[in-house]
Amino acid sequence: MFQGYYLPQSVKEALDILANHKGQASIIGGGTDIVLDIQEGKKKCAAFIDVSQIPELQAIEEVDGYLRLGAAVTHAQANRSALVQKTAPILAEACSKVGSLQIRNIATLVGNVVNGQPAADAAVALAALGAKALIEDGKGQREAMVEELYADVGKSLIDPTKEIVTALLVPVQKKGQGSAFIRLDQRKALALPMLNVAVVVQLDEKGECFEWVRIIMAPVGPGPVRSLKGEGLLAGAATSREAIFQAANAAVTEANPRSSALRGSREYRLDVLPILVKRALEVAVTRAKKTDGREG
Amino acid sequence: MKTLNIVGKSLRRADALEKATGTATFSTDLNLPGMLYAKTLRSPHAHARIIEIDTTEAEKLLGVKAVATWKNTPRLLFNTSATMTFTLPNQEPVLDQYIFDNVVRYVGDEVAAVAAISERVAEAALKLIKVEYELLPAVFDPLEAMEESAPDIHPCHAGKNIPGEIIKIPMGDVEKGFAESDIIYENRFTLPIQKHVQLETQAAVAQVSPDGNITVWSTTQTPHPSRIILAAAFGVSQSKVRVLNPPYIGGGFGVRIGLSAKAEPIAVTLAKLTGKPVKVVYSREEDFIASDTRHAGYVWVKLGAKRDGTFQAIELKGVLNGGAYCSFSCETPGVMGAMGLSVYRIPNVSYYGHSVYTNITPAGAMRGFGNPQGMFAIEQAVDEIAAQLGLDPLELRKQNIIRVGDPWILPYSCRSTGLEECISKAAEELNWQRRGTMNEPGSKILRGIGIGVGTHVSNSWPFCVDYDNAYITVLQDGSIMVATGVPEMGTGTITTLPQLAAETIGIPLDQVGITFGDTLTTPFDIGSHASRTLYAAGTAVVAAANDVRRQILEYAGDLLKTAPEHLEFANGLIKKQGLRDSECVGSGVCQLNEVQNFITMKDLAYHAHLRNKQFIGIGRTTPPNAPPWHAHVTEVEVDTETGMVTVIKVAAAHDVGKAINPLIVEGQIEGGVLMGVGYSISEEIKRDAKGKPLHTSIHKYLLPTAADAPEIKAIIVETNDPTGPFGAKGVGECGMVPTPAAIANAVYDATGIRFTELPLTPERVLKKLQEKNKNII
Amino acid sequence: MNLTTLQFVLNGEETAIVVDTSDMLVDVLRERMLLTGTKKGCGKGECGACTVIMNGAAVNSCMIPALKAMGSVVETIEGIGTLEKLHPLQESFMDEGAIQCGFCTPGMIMSAKALLDSQPHPDGKQIREAIAGNICRCTGYVKIKKAILSASEKLKG
Ligand SMILES: Cc1cc2nc3c(=O)[nH]c(=O)nc-3n(C[C@H](O)[C@H](O)[C@H](O)COP(=O)(O)OP(=O)(O)OC[C@H]3O[C@@H](n4cnc5c(N)ncnc54)[C@H](O)[C@@H]3O)c2cc1C
Ligand code: FES
Ligand code: FES
Repeated sequence: MFQGYYLPQSVKEALDILANHKGQASIIGGGTDIVLDIQEGKKKCAAFIDVSQIPELQAIEEVDGYLRLGAAVTHAQANRSALVQKTAPILAEACSKVGSLQIRNIATLVGNVVNGQPAADAAVALAALGAKALIEDGKGQREAMVEELYADVGKSLIDPTKEIVTALLVPVQKKGQGSAFIRLDQRKALALPMLNVAVVVQLDEKGECFEWVRIIMAPVGPGPVRSLKGEGLLAGAATSREAIFQAANAAVTEANPRSSALRGSREYRLDVLPILVKRALEVAVTRAKKTDGREG
Repeated sequence: MKTLNIVGKSLRRADALEKATGTATFSTDLNLPGMLYAKTLRSPHAHARIIEIDTTEAEKLLGVKAVATWKNTPRLLFNTSATMTFTLPNQEPVLDQYIFDNVVRYVGDEVAAVAAISERVAEAALKLIKVEYELLPAVFDPLEAMEESAPDIHPCHAGKNIPGEIIKIPMGDVEKGFAESDIIYENRFTLPIQKHVQLETQAAVAQVSPDGNITVWSTTQTPHPSRIILAAAFGVSQSKVRVLNPPYIGGGFGVRIGLSAKAEPIAVTLAKLTGKPVKVVYSREEDFIASDTRHAGYVWVKLGAKRDGTFQAIELKGVLNGGAYCSFSCETPGVMGAMGLSVYRIPNVSYYGHSVYTNITPAGAMRGFGNPQGMFAIEQAVDEIAAQLGLDPLELRKQNIIRVGDPWILPYSCRSTGLEECISKAAEELNWQRRGTMNEPGSKILRGIGIGVGTHVSNSWPFCVDYDNAYITVLQDGSIMVATGVPEMGTGTITTLPQLAAETIGIPLDQVGITFGDTLTTPFDIGSHASRTLYAAGTAVVAAANDVRRQILEYAGDLLKTAPEHLEFANGLIKKQGLRDSECVGSGVCQLNEVQNFITMKDLAYHAHLRNKQFIGIGRTTPPNAPPWHAHVTEVEVDTETGMVTVIKVAAAHDVGKAINPLIVEGQIEGGVLMGVGYSISEEIKRDAKGKPLHTSIHKYLLPTAADAPEIKAIIVETNDPTGPFGAKGVGECGMVPTPAAIANAVYDATGIRFTELPLTPERVLKKLQEKNKNII
Repeated sequence: MNLTTLQFVLNGEETAIVVDTSDMLVDVLRERMLLTGTKKGCGKGECGACTVIMNGAAVNSCMIPALKAMGSVVETIEGIGTLEKLHPLQESFMDEGAIQCGFCTPGMIMSAKALLDSQPHPDGKQIREAIAGNICRCTGYVKIKKAILSASEKLKG
């Protein structure tokens, strides 16, 4: 079990403590993943550095066309935030699906990403939205796309014993955009999804053709998986049922789900994945036709 | 009929205030001076012999006070379930468990336990115990376990790995019945493992006094039978053992009829070894893997009917997965058969059933006790017959259900049934006429309605020994104490039993105290199970109350110079017949020996006390039995592209005889229904190829949350059974019984597909939908 | 073992207690402060029996390292009403028959209180969402939902 527990008041202080512990201490956000990992012996760390009370990590704000979410922002806060609902509606929606309200009240979006589970709800929505993470270590700051942070299932490229994610940057929804998040689950709370699909579509000015599309599927690979083929098929295509149908079927060829005794066999997941992609695209198109970019 | 003042009212529960303020005490809350904490080492293997077990390192760890293994604990066979104490005299109880053994028979079986100054130290010590195992072949499926080549899990006489006896229930001539049938439906149904997931895990605290008296506070549903088991397991006389609830239990649903898995014996073992109180609290994972589950297994049904719908013959067969130890595996198949064959008036019936030992977590008692498994098959067969004959499933049922006085296989008679009314009311609630017209052609999302009906028991006779005792002591101020050995595990015992006592005697409810769930302060009672507590323990309480009432009226008769039968006794006042309450003012006791017209209970009790007399009523009863009846109508929605089944609404109409406290009755029905919904669509424990259970937490095991619960409408039907207290019958288990069948029948109505295996997971449902579509193309 | 003093406001009282760094809040409450109204049904954030309100939000106290509560305001079932003046939720849980075994009750009431504190007049969906993390195996949730609605009616006055 852990021997030290720090509650730094600034990112700098947190980085200093990290450095002092030379890889023996780990960042903790809400703790809903890492505490269990430590208790079950899956991870080891001598001390926790809790970033949830750092004032500069608390804000949800719009900056230069981005929705900026501080690392301490919880799922419940994001779900309730009028700004998130307006600028990234599927993020608000995805945040409402995590665990239970008690979990959402404490679990952070950054923790959801760094924990590295491919189908983590907020992470899937963030990936679809093209969100970036801001990462700081003692030496400086860098940026990375959320979907590029996955080394393997449960393994992030972020090392919380050395660096801190300070914020998530989500491009705000623009005119002609629509999005959808569909979660297939056997229980409406306290259950990990069998499948998650999130899509964002940008329609042309007339609302007749796709300009571009982002399709994310999970858990069908080491992280949230983008369907480049599906996206490619739709770019420039008319928003027809046939185009959507073809893209959905193409998407499945890029999915490589595992068989889970708890959450569905590979075959089952492959069977329903195109249905979910199709449904998500249909909803997103309907929404895109209604949005002026400001209302979800 | 006498008007009722207290019975039949939805009064606030007696334990409500304590529970709403967080002051109610449960086993897991206990904290005794000097108390140690125990943790248990469990087998990682499904079947193995322990060759070597080395505890020296664990014993050396700072804070460890004792380590128990098969080597230093009693070697007296027992059975954690109360079957050990109430198997009928013509059968032998199966005793197949030690506290620890040198053979482990399922993943999770007890290997050793440590007592230490904290749970954390105890857990650390477990890691230091070195065990060398010799792996033995293991078997997980009951049909495979019956094959000659399967490993022998315990010695058995009835057949390979079959504990106890094979149960056969014949009536009439089924061969002849099927020959005379115009139509026959036959199929095999497969049932999963369900887990109770009572909110409080198994727990016990044990203390052993210097002179060897054992006190155990625990989560048991049956303190008195638990005392019998513990006395046998430790080879001491029953008079040296006290078992009590502390006083509350965080749910039961059958998981602790008898011991709370091995919480009590492990706590006692370590308390004996250390001389200190020891607390055992199962982790949720331990509760999942190492405490009884519902029986999984196979049920075959064959039902024959005439063209007009009259049932001619039914054959039912059950092979249940008993797991590694017997627990209630002898009785469960019996209840399944006996209940399944007692719903319809069928002249020719036959049942054949038993459990089979396998290397999985033992299966034991769980709400419904075999009956939901059987009815899942039977009620779908009934629907199939209706479909094939083009009859309305409601009408077909009404045509065939058992009526009062009908011959049946049970040794008691059916003296009341409200099943027809239940069917009508449940159907009306869901607007049954919509059936068949609910879906647009081509729709991907389909709706359907289905029905399931059933009966159950109101106590455990004739399957087990079953009797009750109760004392009622009148205190010197006229208030009373009821003493009953049943527990309060959430079912409302300590509210409804006092309601019966107060009504029977004629005093206000606030004058009734109750002591319960404690072998020291209460007379023997067989405990809370078999939907029996209100019906059976209630019968004893009513008998004791009648005894008290008689004594009081006799005493009052002398005092008021009036024959007892000419006295009225209600609301704490005893008065001559015809006198109005308003005329009864003053103390009522005459100082000058002149005859009075009335006396209050309070004055009478004190009057008696000053003359060296106290009233004590005794109820010693052997309950007959009575059938509760129930019909559930459900509406479901099926997403045909994903296979997802959503239960929209359940209307559950129950003939409970008489609702002593309607609010509590509704609560029992609603909880049972939701547990049945979970069983039907999402709950199951699966294992890997080596027998390791995969659903070991609430997160993985999908029992419904508040966000999943369908609308549930509980409907109470009253038929006043002549055998029950104020007409009451059992209700506790009934919400489970017809739910799976009603849901499967609704899914059939929506999709035209007959599902024979639970739960109706999206994957299972989609597969069948795809097969059907293939066949159409 | 590594001891630290946890300072926080518990049920309205400034509180300081020495805890082991790796203790969880639920164990500090139950084992150290003997506030056993908060229950433990899983220890892993799956059942809600340990729900307390921290800084206005319902949380699973079994998932909270005790020191995370440093400086925070924590409410438990013991602190939300007095025998003379119970919280309306406590009244309505008793009156509506929302309590059976009672093991889920404290956590359930705390989740409901957090809801009503921020949303005095919730609709059915909000109620379901607020208590979906509180498993109750006894009631089927029917009367619990009703009790929360009826408490919110009472709050309307
Ligand atoms: C009962 C239960 C149900 C759950 N259900 C769901 C669900 O439905 N869907 C879902 O997606 N998840 C679910 N989870 C998982 C979990 O709640 C989420 O992944 C959550 O978002 C994790 O956030 P946290 O703040 O609690 O992370 P923590 O546990 O604090 O951290 C997780 C990881 O991220 C690292 N980390 C945290 N913050 C930072 C930072 N600022 N910089 C660098 N590294 C950081 C930590 O070191 C750790 O490695 C569930 C968990 C439980 C216990
Ligand atoms: S004990 Fe904390 S959620 Fe179960
Ligand atoms: S009342 Fe028993 S778990 Fe809710």
